[in-house]
Amino acid sequence: MYFNANDVTSFMAQKEFIDTAIVPLVSVDLTSEKMKQSGTEADFLLSLTSFIEQQFKGRLLLMPPFSYSATLKDEEMPKQLEAQLHNAGFKHVFFITCDHSWTNIGDEVNIIWLPAIPLESMDKGVKSSILEDQLRQLIPILSTKWAQI
Amino acid sequence: MSNNRVSRRQFLSYTLTGVGGFMAAGMLMPMVRFAIDPVLQKHGGGDFVQTEHKIADITDKPVKVDLKFEQVDAWYKSDVTNVAWVFKEGDQIVALSPVCKHLGCMVGWEEDSSHPNQFFCPCHAGRYEKNGKNVPGTPPTGPLDEYEVQEKNGFLWLGPTKANTLVK
Repeated sequence: MYFNANDVTSFMAQKEFIDTAIVPLVSVDLTSEKMKQSGTEADFLLSLTSFIEQQFKGRLLLMPPFSYSATLKDEEMPKQLEAQLHNAGFKHVFFITCDHSWTNIGDEVNIIWLPAIPLESMDKGVKSSILEDQLRQLIPILSTKWAQI
Repeated sequence: MSNNRVSRRQFLSYTLTGVGGFMAAGMLMPMVRFAIDPVLQKHGGGDFVQTEHKIADITDKPVKVDLKFEQVDAWYKSDVTNVAWVFKEGDQIVALSPVCKHLGCMVGWEEDSSHPNQFFCPCHAGRYEKNGKNVPGTPPTGPLDEYEVQEKNGFLWLGPTKANTLVK
């Protein structure tokens, strides 16, 4: 489910089934050396999270991406967000990011870190097979959490 | 020749009838078009999309077939890839939609090792038999949808989805 009016309505009606929230954490770097890399990361993360949404539509809510620049970055943000999502009824909250520094707080919240793959130069077929491979790596992470209840 | 001559009166009445006829037709045509408009409308949803899968390659084991088309959402164009599970049932080719009837996840074929020969939904362990019939006691409430199927030049073409016709 996406965070839009229609999907949120069905989330409200089916709360016992939709127990997982996915939050993309997107770093926005505006320095001229890093800007392109930052764009690649954002593109990859958004493509991958929409693909996850398509596969597991009925089990998870994909939150809008939380974006930050280097100075706005705050370690408290994911922790507080997780607490609020738990209050809203989500049993599992996953943060998914290409920014390696979040793995510091990996003990406290579920951080899934993935290296960004530059998708911009690929044609559609290659792109979707890459995303499928990435998803296949994520499925065990999700299903072990789901199996724990 | 001379007794068939057209008089001035006849000439004028012929011309006026002709011109009047054109004017009347010009007014009536749009009205008629409006009146029968639903008949003239094109059915955009009925388009078939070619897949890269050959009819001859289809066996009785379900395989995943990609279905790519361009979707226009207001002014935003995007390429959408849908998936179908295609197999042969006797002589008939069946293409089932992978969208779970529970909450819309993607089901897979034989993904759960304890239930072979069934479609499995990873989200809430919904199961379907090979013909798309939902297994009672699992969350889905109806059978999987079916794509309309066509064969052209040996390739499989898939159309819009319809309610499952295999489940009795």
